Amino acid sequence: MRTLWKIGLALSLLVVTGCWDRREVNDMAIVIAMAMDKEPGGLYRLSVQVPLVSNLGGPSGGGGGTSGDKSYYVDSAVGKTIREANSTIQSRMSRHLYYAHHRIVVIGERLAKEGFSDALDIVSRFPENRLTAFIVMTKGKGMDLLIAQPQFERFSGEAIRELVKAESIPVTIKDISQMLNTPGVDAFLPIFEDVDSHPKGKSKEIQSVGIGTFRGDKLIATYTNYEIAGLRWFHRATPLNQNVSLGQKETLSIAFQNAKANIQPAIKGGRVHFNIELHGSAYVTENHSSLDLSLMKNCKLVEDKLTQKVTDDVKKVLEQTKQTRSDMIGLGIVLARNFPKEWKDKYRNTWDKEIPRITYQIKSKVQVVDIGQTTKNIMKEERL
Amino acid sequence: MDFKRKDKTKELIESINACSLMDLEGIPVFSKLADNIALLKKLFADCSDFVIREFKQKNSVIAIAVFVDGLIDTHEVNQALKTLMVLEDGDENVRVIEEVLLPVSQITRVNDYKQLLQAVLSGDTAIIVEGNQEALTLGIRGAEKRSVNEPEGEAVVRGPREGFIENIRTNTSMLRRKLKTPRLKMKSAVVGRETNTNLVIAYLDGIADPQVVEEVSRRIDRIDIDAVLESGYIEELIQDSTYSPFPQVMYSERPDTVAGALLEGRVAIFVDGTPMVLIVPTTFWMLMQANEDYFERFQMATLVRWLRYLFLIISLVTPAIYVAITTYHQQMLPTTLLLSIAAAREAIPFPAIVEALIMEVAFEALREAGIRLPKTVGQAVSILGALVVGQAAVQAGIVSAPMVIVVSITGIASFTIPHFNAAIALRMLRFPLMIIASILGIYGILVMALIILGHMANLRSFGVPYLSPLAPMSVGDLKDTLIRAPWSNNEKRPSFLGVQNARRMDSGFGDQIQSKGGGKGGSGRSSTNEEGKT
Repeated sequence: MRTLWKIGLALSLLVVTGCWDRREVNDMAIVIAMAMDKEPGGLYRLSVQVPLVSNLGGPSGGGGGTSGDKSYYVDSAVGKTIREANSTIQSRMSRHLYYAHHRIVVIGERLAKEGFSDALDIVSRFPENRLTAFIVMTKGKGMDLLIAQPQFERFSGEAIRELVKAESIPVTIKDISQMLNTPGVDAFLPIFEDVDSHPKGKSKEIQSVGIGTFRGDKLIATYTNYEIAGLRWFHRATPLNQNVSLGQKETLSIAFQNAKANIQPAIKGGRVHFNIELHGSAYVTENHSSLDLSLMKNCKLVEDKLTQKVTDDVKKVLEQTKQTRSDMIGLGIVLARNFPKEWKDKYRNTWDKEIPRITYQIKSKVQVVDIGQTTKNIMKEERL
Repeated sequence: MDFKRKDKTKELIESINACSLMDLEGIPVFSKLADNIALLKKLFADCSDFVIREFKQKNSVIAIAVFVDGLIDTHEVNQALKTLMVLEDGDENVRVIEEVLLPVSQITRVNDYKQLLQAVLSGDTAIIVEGNQEALTLGIRGAEKRSVNEPEGEAVVRGPREGFIENIRTNTSMLRRKLKTPRLKMKSAVVGRETNTNLVIAYLDGIADPQVVEEVSRRIDRIDIDAVLESGYIEELIQDSTYSPFPQVMYSERPDTVAGALLEGRVAIFVDGTPMVLIVPTTFWMLMQANEDYFERFQMATLVRWLRYLFLIISLVTPAIYVAITTYHQQMLPTTLLLSIAAAREAIPFPAIVEALIMEVAFEALREAGIRLPKTVGQAVSILGALVVGQAAVQAGIVSAPMVIVVSITGIASFTIPHFNAAIALRMLRFPLMIIASILGIYGILVMALIILGHMANLRSFGVPYLSPLAPMSVGDLKDTLIRAPWSNNEKRPSFLGVQNARRMDSGFGDQIQSKGGGKGGSGRSSTNEEGKT
């Protein structure tokens, strides 16, 4: 009997320690997206986007006390730290802020310029946050992106998430922390903006507008998507559609199927040299010229033009890299893998000074594998 | 001397008062018929169905026939008793009557009142003749019994449609029809002080483990209870662990299931008065199998078995996991699913665990009501349950729709388990799992699952580990547990049962057909050539 009591007491230890973190879903404010901004005076502004679940179409009857037809709302507060801002928001929110489902972190322009790594510390430190959330930046205030109401999705956070996967180069919290901590690669973030749809309606749509590049955690340059199209070759994103112009008015539209970049570094006479090989396959989506693409020579012509274009794109990225000394491709990592000793001894600590001195050679090969259902523009006669 | 003995008999008869058959052991059939009549009349005073038919010769009673009205086949007994009407002098010896006069196939000599009355109360007719210390019992029984029907508890699509009935002789005959072999042994026993229920322990000699057979007999012999009204009594009295929720004895009302179990080396226990035949030793996986698995194509049977294993887990843990995830581990759900659940739960006044308990208890009540009520009313209950409890509770915002889905899935899942008693065990364990999930989340579910698993691994049924052949692992037997191997591959009986004569068939039987290349006739290809010629 005594032993039974003892066993019972021991077993009850398993049970009586429970319940402390019990939280019903209707006592939670599920944060879908959050934005971080820098305010004057070194303060941080945290904005959270929280769905109003009672407006999401639960069962009829009963119901919460929220009004209006908006399915979410955005609250924001300032503080010396992000957590302080969070506490301020929480102090006027009847439900517990729950960050485990946030999928988007938006960095405001000012925060990006002044360095965002301090603000991100909480995201990687606090276990509720997920490292797989995407991180983007915006021009202007991060909060504006959360307030935008896109037409298709219920929350702008959801829209940003879908867009960053489809239209930009996705960067997760995990990626950005690796980019910030690894010597030999610098960070970049996709830029999103809220824009009016055309014709102008009630909604504000979210648009992927470009890429911002960083040195350390500070923003140094922003580019439009086309200015930095070459970057996509190195980050497993399908390259953007291209226009190939033949002469003045004749244009072909090309889309890429596969793209692969291969970087081979070499150290020649104290200078780092990169051989960059690009392989891609593409298909023709539109043909405004009178070319008959069923002919090998015409196809070849398009391929040559395209190859030239791709080379130019990548060259532009490399020139920007040299100019801004922000290694967004990760050339340093490639060098480190191939020449670990030299990297450790020589380049590791001075890589950003070394970048402007690098040389490179680009070889590209793009194949047109699919010319579409028709061979030439059926509206036109061939003149070439 | 003679006078004294008589006095003794009188004393003996007077000393017997309101006793059960057990107490009559050792009381002999008296040579004087009057004593016998006196004893019987005393024992069966106020028994209107008990008949003592007297046969007289020269004004003195020389023989009596004793039977219970309604238990005998009146017509046949009449035929047999005709011979007693013409009993001649010198024929008053029961041996002569048995061997020369009575045209009855089943006839037994008894000399003890226990045996005599046991036979009579089971439906035999006893004949006691003046001057004999032995009596005859004629096995001409004819009590009313149900006809053989399709068993309602174990329906099949493909397979025999006969089920056991309440009469033990009919049941054993149905088994004997399946197993026409002298190996099929049927040891009988009687249990129950007042019911004197007949039991038959059936097994295949040379296949079943003799130790198991012996253990079964020993445990049954040890039973001392006043009544056995169903095989469940026996099950509870012979099982290894009384307080386990898991059944350690399987029952079936299908002759083919019982025959299959015997062929695997198990032992069956028939109990008179119930169609449910017990099968031991029982393992857990056996309860997950239906007899139809062996009649259908093996691929289908394998898939169905895995479906059952899946739904076994679902029926056990789904409500617990739902409660755990929605109260502790919200990060485990996809965001959109969490939002849907949050929207559905928005207006619900109860915490998830209370909601789950309400719904599960309501479901169990509905199920129970559906079983007990007459069929016509049962339908009304299901309509009430589905419409009122299901739809209205959701619309009124008392129970959330996801919870209704969880409970329905759990209910359906528990019905996929072919043996009802195994399903009951899982249904019971669901509740502690739910409660611990509400306290400790998934950690609690894991702890509880480990406790359950440990308990199951600890269980034994007649010396056989409950989880065998998985734990302890015997790889060869997994052929009939994880999958249902085709018969041509399933050459051996389960080894964990300690069977003798393990081979079911010669090896390579399936290959013989395959090697013929599908040809007709004796030697495959050559025969097709001959066909071509003609």
